[in-house]
Amino acid sequence: MTIAWRSPLGLVLLVLCTIAFVYVLLPILVIVIAPLGATGYLAFPPQGLTLKWYQAALNDQRYLTAVMVSLRIAVASALIACVIGIASAYALTRYEFPGRRLLEALFLSPLILPSLVLAVGLTLFFTRTGLLTGPWRLIAAHVVVCTPYVLRVSLPVLRRFDRSLEEAARNLGATPFQTFFLVVLPVVRPGIVAGTVLAFITSFDELVLALFLAEPGTPTLPVTIYSAVQLGFDPSVAAVSGLLIIATFAVMLLYHLLNALRQQRN
Amino acid sequence: MTQAAQSGVNGRPLWRSALVPVLLFAPCVLVYAIFFIWPQASLLGLSASDKAGLTLDHYGRFAGDSYYWDILGRTLGLGLAVTVITLLLGLPTAYVLARSQSRWAGFLLLLTTFPLLVSAVVRSFGWMVLFFKDGLVSKALQSLGLASGPVQTMYTMPGVIIALAQVLLPLMVLTLHGVFKSIDRDLEYAAMSLGARPSVALWLVTLRLARGGIVAGSLLVFSLAISAFATPSLVGGARANVMATAIYEQTVELLDWPFGATLATILLVTVLGLSLAYGALIEGREKMEARP
Repeated sequence: MTIAWRSPLGLVLLVLCTIAFVYVLLPILVIVIAPLGATGYLAFPPQGLTLKWYQAALNDQRYLTAVMVSLRIAVASALIACVIGIASAYALTRYEFPGRRLLEALFLSPLILPSLVLAVGLTLFFTRTGLLTGPWRLIAAHVVVCTPYVLRVSLPVLRRFDRSLEEAARNLGATPFQTFFLVVLPVVRPGIVAGTVLAFITSFDELVLALFLAEPGTPTLPVTIYSAVQLGFDPSVAAVSGLLIIATFAVMLLYHLLNALRQQRN
Repeated sequence: MTQAAQSGVNGRPLWRSALVPVLLFAPCVLVYAIFFIWPQASLLGLSASDKAGLTLDHYGRFAGDSYYWDILGRTLGLGLAVTVITLLLGLPTAYVLARSQSRWAGFLLLLTTFPLLVSAVVRSFGWMVLFFKDGLVSKALQSLGLASGPVQTMYTMPGVIIALAQVLLPLMVLTLHGVFKSIDRDLEYAAMSLGARPSVALWLVTLRLARGGIVAGSLLVFSLAISAFATPSLVGGARANVMATAIYEQTVELLDWPFGATLATILLVTVLGLSLAYGALIEGREKMEARP
């Protein structure tokens, strides 16, 4: 080890590191733990111990509807972003042409665009043109912000892919389609899955675009939580948020365990 | 580079070989043209026009009113403060996680970056519970003797800074972790075997080599901090007005879309300028590294 962790310098580093851990995880723990309190308002540390707020959250029709709305929009956005993102990523890594880097920069640029700027522009655009209806306005907006994530994850994977495998398949008589689906896709699948999962989470968590573009009357989950939090500290809002955190954590853990298992098997 | 991109390979005419890449790019280009470039162009157009035609009146209104300069200044100050905090905590955390040989290091990195997967709305909510008048922060300050009565951190700028730095810290740790991992540990050993104290080796070798990554991470956090909406809106409320909340107010609440578009354009230009600097920097680094 370069730095002895017991030396003064090492201790300073470890202390700062510990502060950072507590700092990053504290508000998340607060949201999971605070609704366990028996008081009618949110308190941390909680007083008493009850599951009634979590129960209330699970039975609240408002939140269930919002979860379904968010799920539908996130699944649609992630799937569309995945398909168009992979097609472009494949073409970006396989063909050399003038302006290729510019095109790649354009495809990635929504990553740095403030979502509020995009939201204002899209709202103006949809009101003027009357294009798309219902949930599709928000899905279109989410596709724009999700596609860069798919590209960012899949581009390096496709660049690393051994081209000779593709050439071998072609030489053995496979059509370009067969080559892509039977040779390229299985190898780069982990990258594609990771990109799509990231796109799904981005859409599911997104607030600003949903505030501007969601269908009136059917807000997404982040919008529902945002509005509820502004009205007051109802413990059941915290319970819904807590359930969201627990579910996210479970999915993340599962994803990494499956990855670790697959690596072990290989 | 590829055979298909060059003309006339396998006896196929150029347009046939160009057909496949064009078809592959088409969906993405279409989606971006319709739902990204067009709306952004009409946003720019609206910010620079009124019923009579082209005008810079909206920009003049911004420039002539100190209220809006205050908002811009507050936004940039927020970005700066958040960047400094995330650097101060992110550097040691990323370094310890990158150099630790414990089998838990990977899990700890996962735990640090997990909050990125949780909506900013939920994370800001956590801070609201902590910041409220009788919350943990107020009680902790009182028990430490730093405050005599209840402290209100909600609806203040320090509150927004603390909450937003927490929201963006995982991103800084993730960026810097990659940078530290890519720095050869032998360089630190070499410096120390030549007589440098660990702190000197860390300063002269590691941080020097990580400089590019540190600047890149800072620019990333800064641009995200000045465009954040959820945290300033929930934790800051009306009293900590920043660019993002001002744009929301102008459009959704006051329905002054042209002026909202102007504010949005100003924010966009600021972020774009920063990211161009970021791009130039990355490019410069790649050239440096490519040099033998």
